[in-house]
Amino acid sequence: MKYLPFILRNLGRNPLRSLLTASAIALAIALVCILRTMPAGMDAFLSAIASNTRISTHNEAGMVYAMPYSYLQKVRAVPGVVAAISWQWFGGAIDPAKGVEFPNFAVDPEDFGKVYEDWKIAPQALEDFRKYRDAAIVGRATLEKHDWKVGDTVTLQSTVFPLQLSFRIVGEVPNERASQFYFQREYLIQAFAAAGAPIDSTGMIWSRIDDPERVAPAMKQIDEMFRNGEAETTSETEKSFFGNFFGSLKGIVTIILIVAGIVTLCIVFIAANTASMSVRERVGEIAILKAIGFRKKTIFTTLLAEAVVLSTVAGAAGALISLGLTSLLRSSASGGGGPQLGPLTGFIVTDAILVQAIFISFFIGILSGWLPALGASRRSVAQTLREVF
Amino acid sequence: MALPLSYSWRSLIARGTRTAFTVAVIALVVIATTLFWSLIGSLKRTLVSSGSPENLIVMRKGATNDGSSQLSLESLQAIRFFEGIARDAEGNPLISPELVVQPFFATADGGRENVLVRGVEPVALLVHDEVALVEGRMFNSSSGEAVVGRGVSRRYAGASLGSQLKFGRGTWKVVGILESGGSSFESEVWVDARELANDAKRTLPYSGFRVRVAPGTDMDALARRIDDDPRFALEATREIDYYESLSSSANTLYIIVIGLAVLAGIGAVFGATNTMYAAVQSRTSEIGTLRALGFSRASILFSFLSESVMTALFAFAVGAVGGWALGLFISWLLGGIAFGAATFTTNVIQLRVAPSDLLMPLALSVLIGVFGGLAPAARAARMRPVDALRKA
Repeated sequence: MKYLPFILRNLGRNPLRSLLTASAIALAIALVCILRTMPAGMDAFLSAIASNTRISTHNEAGMVYAMPYSYLQKVRAVPGVVAAISWQWFGGAIDPAKGVEFPNFAVDPEDFGKVYEDWKIAPQALEDFRKYRDAAIVGRATLEKHDWKVGDTVTLQSTVFPLQLSFRIVGEVPNERASQFYFQREYLIQAFAAAGAPIDSTGMIWSRIDDPERVAPAMKQIDEMFRNGEAETTSETEKSFFGNFFGSLKGIVTIILIVAGIVTLCIVFIAANTASMSVRERVGEIAILKAIGFRKKTIFTTLLAEAVVLSTVAGAAGALISLGLTSLLRSSASGGGGPQLGPLTGFIVTDAILVQAIFISFFIGILSGWLPALGASRRSVAQTLREVF
Repeated sequence: MALPLSYSWRSLIARGTRTAFTVAVIALVVIATTLFWSLIGSLKRTLVSSGSPENLIVMRKGATNDGSSQLSLESLQAIRFFEGIARDAEGNPLISPELVVQPFFATADGGRENVLVRGVEPVALLVHDEVALVEGRMFNSSSGEAVVGRGVSRRYAGASLGSQLKFGRGTWKVVGILESGGSSFESEVWVDARELANDAKRTLPYSGFRVRVAPGTDMDALARRIDDDPRFALEATREIDYYESLSSSANTLYIIVIGLAVLAGIGAVFGATNTMYAAVQSRTSEIGTLRALGFSRASILFSFLSESVMTALFAFAVGAVGGWALGLFISWLLGGIAFGAATFTTNVIQLRVAPSDLLMPLALSVLIGVFGGLAPAARAARMRPVDALRKA
């Protein structure tokens, strides 16, 4: 610790170089943090939104294949099922030219709160959702992005059906990663009936199971029940469903991780260049330090510490920059991304990412300072002094 | 008098380690941006090359893609004999009614993806003349046969020629392989339209019509005539515009890649500036000598600037080769990159670094070279010969 002022003085000797190096590291660390939010968004989505005791039942052939609505009652009767709702994709867009900006579904309001118990939707919101035919419950991410509030009226034009519906927002899904928009199935049914094309099918059934132990038997029983029926089904947990649904994003995630790795390697080189430059300029001085009795170990440690302090401070600054940049990204209209990239474009820097960033910059400091410091501390005093003077 | 360029590159070689570090930094930035940029490029090329400039696509008004459109047989009959639609040798209109569904396919690693299955009639190959059957034969109608795109046959279980492919409610025999110059048709499966409608239990038999326009016809006028038909809410779009709009799903990636290029680029500028300052500093006496010999400030400035730009260009060359190789490796490793989970159709694209994908990284490295060299070169040019020589 007593060498700290010495280390800081050394960093201050060439303030421009230290500043440039620190800025380069900070920017790169910020970039790594932002890139890391994408795969982390996927993990967080699966752990924050998806539950192990909620299961999805859909047509075995695919999600665009429908099931009879009567299946819902049959699923409700399966032992272990606490509550179940049907789920119909509406594909609504605020502006059809821009496409679907957030997923929106028609659901059964009675059991909605019970199926999504873990989301902690306000009881008042759930009550209003049951009461008003045009009620909608919307995820916080979508509310914030479009600057909507509870009580606002929103009109969506379906891209799947020739229908346009107006909704009144009665509550939110209180999770910053939730982007879904839910409304009453009955509202959709009436609109269909009015258009002269009544429907009696649903895209998916979501049910909550009372006990994790009973999830597997319940899924098995549901699928057995519909075997050889009008529509054969596949049931799976919510985690598995979304894991599959976003499975095709794996390629992009791999590329993002590779790019993040490349940027990290970049920081190592920038920091190592600086460390080796500053050591080279100081060879004479280091030889003198040794000649007057400073030990190899001390010299090695102070030089290494110099690199570590620089890169850790810069890394911490970079982590802060990433917080600012991601909040900009989230608020910009286009930055939130469409549903095409799903949970990848939440751009939320979690605490874990921040902590990792600071650790990464600490290790970059060690990695970049090690060789120059070792070289300098091992150099023979007599030879250096002869060369320099 | 100008300093010879060889002075610049000889100076770079003289300080090998320092140059190597800077080259490494810039090359890595080039690799990172090249990878991302060519990923978007590959996706755009795949989608944009899918449309034919002579084709119109007709869908239900308001539908954003043919997967979410439903059309009746009557609407087909209504527009089938419109003037301006090309005819084949027998005089039949070249209009291809198609049904699109997206059933699950099992990937080789046990996952599942939504794949676009297109129900077509024999006329489809005439309308989509860029799609060719390269192996096997076309399916026979009502016999449970399918032809698959090249990308599909590589990626999914049971999709190779001669295999039994399971999707929807039935099992299909793969009898042919389609190719279309890498466009998105290679990520599709084609089967008999009527069979597909039965399998998917679709009441309205079609999703869209692809119309080949007769040469010399005003496409927009024909499109307007289809749009204005009061009996059916139809909307005709140029096929190329349709695929262009599908490719806009990649626009979020543009924001990310531009942010990446800017941030990493500025970081690399700082790194390069550091190196160049050190170069100027260690050559103070040399600069003083050059000035004393009569070289002008401008020639010193230019010389240091070219040193920095040379470093950046060399780094670009290294990074471009590295990015190209890494792209091939990733493509091989992943067997193509899938796009478009939430649009319910998976496009399998091959990551290829095309020459045009390298323009952005090239511009970026030149900027890094110029901005990284500017301040140090200016410092070198401002030195007074007397001071520079004395300091040394």
